[in-house]
Amino acid sequence: MPNYTISDIVDNPSNQQRLCGFEGKIARIDLTTGEISMVDTYKYVPKYVGGRMIINRIAYDELPAGVGPFDEANKFIYMTGPTTGTGIPAGGRSAACSIGCSNSPEQYTWGNIGGWFATELKYAGYDGLIIEGKAPKPSFIKIEDDEITIEDASELWGERVHRSQSLLEERYGHDFKSMVIGPAGENLVRLASITTGNDCVFAKGGFGAVWGSKNLKAITVRGSGIVAPADISKLEHLRATMNEPSMRPSPILHLDAIGVPGIEFEAHYDRGNVSCSPGCNQHCNALLIDGVSAFGPERQNHIEKCVSICAFDYRSDLPSPIGQFWPTLRNYCAPCKLLGRDFPAPDFDDPDFEGQARVIKPDIYGFWATDYEGGTIVNDLCNEYGIDKWEIIVWFCTWLSACKKVGLLDELDLGCSSEPDPMNQEFMKEFITNMVYRKGRIGNIFAEGMARAIRELGYDKYGESIYRGRFSQELDGKRLDIPVSFEAAWGQSVHWQGRGYEGSVEKPTWLASCIINMTNSRDAQTVEHFHGIYDDYAAALADPYHSPELLGHIIHTQNYAEIKDSVMSCEWQSPDPRWPEMESLMYQAATGYDITPEELDEAAFRSKLLFRAILIRNHGRCRRQEIESIWRCMCIPDSWGEVADWRLFNEMVDLYYERRGWDLETGWPYRETYERYGLEDVADDMERLGLLPERPAERWSDYGEPPFVQFVENRKLEPDYEG
Amino acid sequence: MEGYANHIVQYSPEYSLCAGCEACSMICGLKHEGFTSPGNARIKVNLGTRSMIHEVLACQQCLDHPCYEACPKKDEAMRLDPETGIAYIDEENCIGCGLCIRACRFDPPRISMRRNRERKLWRAVKCDLCRGNPEGPQCIRACQVVCIGLSDDAVEGEGGLWPASAVDGAQG
Repeated sequence: MPNYTISDIVDNPSNQQRLCGFEGKIARIDLTTGEISMVDTYKYVPKYVGGRMIINRIAYDELPAGVGPFDEANKFIYMTGPTTGTGIPAGGRSAACSIGCSNSPEQYTWGNIGGWFATELKYAGYDGLIIEGKAPKPSFIKIEDDEITIEDASELWGERVHRSQSLLEERYGHDFKSMVIGPAGENLVRLASITTGNDCVFAKGGFGAVWGSKNLKAITVRGSGIVAPADISKLEHLRATMNEPSMRPSPILHLDAIGVPGIEFEAHYDRGNVSCSPGCNQHCNALLIDGVSAFGPERQNHIEKCVSICAFDYRSDLPSPIGQFWPTLRNYCAPCKLLGRDFPAPDFDDPDFEGQARVIKPDIYGFWATDYEGGTIVNDLCNEYGIDKWEIIVWFCTWLSACKKVGLLDELDLGCSSEPDPMNQEFMKEFITNMVYRKGRIGNIFAEGMARAIRELGYDKYGESIYRGRFSQELDGKRLDIPVSFEAAWGQSVHWQGRGYEGSVEKPTWLASCIINMTNSRDAQTVEHFHGIYDDYAAALADPYHSPELLGHIIHTQNYAEIKDSVMSCEWQSPDPRWPEMESLMYQAATGYDITPEELDEAAFRSKLLFRAILIRNHGRCRRQEIESIWRCMCIPDSWGEVADWRLFNEMVDLYYERRGWDLETGWPYRETYERYGLEDVADDMERLGLLPERPAERWSDYGEPPFVQFVENRKLEPDYEG
Repeated sequence: MEGYANHIVQYSPEYSLCAGCEACSMICGLKHEGFTSPGNARIKVNLGTRSMIHEVLACQQCLDHPCYEACPKKDEAMRLDPETGIAYIDEENCIGCGLCIRACRFDPPRISMRRNRERKLWRAVKCDLCRGNPEGPQCIRACQVVCIGLSDDAVEGEGGLWPASAVDGAQG
C-alpha cells in the first residue's frame, strides 16, 4: 500500500528518525522466479543519503566479481532521491547502476535520467527498484500501487521507443509512466539506452542492452499515494532562490538559426523550452517542434540537448568561454539558465569580467555542413531505436566523415546501398537500422559499439590513422593532427578533453576532465562537468600538474556528482559556487534531517569509495589500468598543439591519489581511508581478497614508460611533424 | 468567459509554453495538504509525454455549478462562496461519495478524489482559487514560465488566451 498521509511515512516503525521525503521501501523484482520482495529504505538513510549512494551500497553487497552485463546475476538497481516528487527543483531526476556493456572493458557503471517516471514510482510507494534475474520470455513490469506484476511483452517486443510507451498508455491509461527499451536494447546493441517520455534516457553504460538481456522491455507505473517533504517553507525558499528564476514567459519561437552563440547556422524551425522532470523551476530542454521523422511522413517534436547541435552542423567544434569552467562568483550563471536562454544581464563591474568572458575559439573540423533535416533524422533514429546519440553523432558520424576524407572507406564495405556519409539520410537510416537489428557482418560489428567495432575492423588503421582536416583557430588556422577515432577512456568518446568534441579547452580543464574520466568507468562528463572558480584559474594555468587548487576542484566536482545523483538534483543546476549549502538545504527540506554540507561531502567520499571498491574487486581496477585508458587521448594535440607530459601527469595522479587516500602504486584505498568513512567491512573484505595495500616505507615513483600509442608514431611520419 | 466565474486558464504557447514541470499541481498539493499526490492537486497537467505539449486543467468554476447541485450534503460539504460565486468543498463534511465528480461536465473531471487507506475516508478536492489566501492562487505564483493566469485578466490573442497586461503592453 502506498503512503496516503504524512503519518503513514513518519510513523512507519522502521523510520526511526522520522524522515520525510522517502517512501520507505525498495521493490526487489526477480524476473527469473517472479518473486517480489521489499527492501527497507530506512536501513540505508541518512548514512547513504539516497539515490546513487544507496545503489553503490547495494551493488557492493550484491554484485560479486565475475558478473558480466548480460549474466542473469547482473542487477539493474534504480533509485529516486528524497527530493524526487517533492517540488524541490531538479529533484525529479533519478539514478541507476548496473554492470555496463558499452564501456570497454565491461564494468560497473551508473547513469541518471529525467522524466515523470521517478515521481510516479514514489506515488506508488517505492523509493527504488532492484531488478534481478532474467524473464523466461519478453516481459514488462507493471506497478500500480502495491500490485507489482510481470506481464507478457510479446505485443510490445519489437516496437520502437515512443510507440512502446503509447501502447502501454493505451492499455492501462494515460497516467501510467513508462521506461522502455527500443529494438536496440532487445537486440543487445551495446549502445542501447532506456527511455522515458520524449527523450529522457539512460544513454551511457548500455543499460538498454542489460534490460534486453533480461527480456525486460518496459516498466510502467501508476501510483495514487503521496510524497511528503518535511519543510514547505524551506522548499518554497529553494524554489524561489535556486538560480534566481526570472519567472518570465517562455513562448514558442519561430527561428531562423540554430547552434550556440558564436556558431549559428541557418535553419528554419519552431522552438520552445521545457523542463525534464516534475518540480523543476527551470526549462533547459529545447523542444524542436514539428521536425521530420526517420520512419514516415508523420512529424515529431524532438528534445535537443548539447550533443544534438552537432548533428545539424559540424564544420567547427563548439566555442568555450573561460567562465564556463572557471566562473567568477559575480558572473556565475547556471547552465540551465544558459540552455533555457533565460540568463540575467552580465555584471560588467566585475573586475574579472573580461577574463572569464573570453571565449576559446573552436577548432575547425569540416565534418559536415548545415543540414537541419538530416540532423533531425539522425536524432530521431537514435530516439526511436533507443541508442546513445552521443556515440552516433560524436563518434560514429565524425569517424565516418574523417575516414571518408582520408580514403579509408575505399576498401571498407559498410553494407549499405547508398553512399556512406553523415549527411546522406538514406545511408544513415540504412546503416543505423542494420546496426540496431544486427543485419549482416557490419551491422553486427557496429552493434558492439564504436570501441569494439574499430578494433574488429583493425585498430591501427581505423582508429589511429591521421585526419588532416583539423585546424586551430587559436593558432591562426594551423593544422593540428588528430586520429580518425575520437576515443577516450573506457571505450567512450572524448568529451571536454582538449581534443575532439567540445575539445577547445585549456590544459587545466582538460587535465581535470581526464582525471575525472580516468577514475570513472564511463564518460562522466554528463554529470561531472568540471567546475572551478576564476580566483584559482591563474594558479592552475601556471602549473596545472601540481596545482592544489585544481585538485581541490576536481574532487569537489566528483563529490558533487555523487551528491547530485543522491539528494537528487541536476547537473545544470548544481553545484552553485555561490551557494555551497544548496544541496544540504534541499536534503533538509525534503527529509527534515539537518545534514550539513560537510556531512554530504563525507557521504560523497563514502559513495566514491564503494564505487572504487567495486571496480577494484570486480574488474581489477588499478593505477596502470586507468592511466593506460586515458593516456592515448592525452597524446593528441590540444588546440595549442600541446600534449600531456608523462612524468608530470603521473605526478598529478600521485597528488590526486594522495588526496583521496589511495596508494600511489596500485590506486587502491588504504584501510584508514575506508575506515574514515565508516566502511570497515569493506576494508576487511579487501584485505581478505589481497586488495588492501600497505603503506610503503618510501614514496613510490616508478612510473615506467608511457603506453605505446600508434597515433604518436603515425604523426612522426608526417612531413611537417614538429615533435 | 460567459457561464464561468473567474478561473485558472492556460495561456497561448505563443505567449508562454507550458514547461511540463507540474509545479502548479505540486504546489497546490503542498499548500493545501503538505504533500504532493496525483489525488490531491486541484489543478492537473495533462502531459504530452512524447509531444511535450501539455494541457493545464483546472475547475472552470461554472456559474451553474452542477457539482454543487449534485452534492447530497449541499451547503455542508459543497458550498458556494458568497463573494466569488464559486463552489468550494468543505472537506470536513465531505463523505467521498463522488457524485460531484460524476456531475462535472468536463472530461477529465476537474474534481479529484484524495485517497486514504480506507475508502470511506476518501475526500473530493477541487480548485477554490486558494480561497482565503491573500496571495491568491498558489499555482499561478509557482508557475516558472507564467503560462497560467486568471480568466478575469485574460483576453483572446494569437493562438489562444493572453494576459490582458501583455496585450495592452504590446499595443501601448
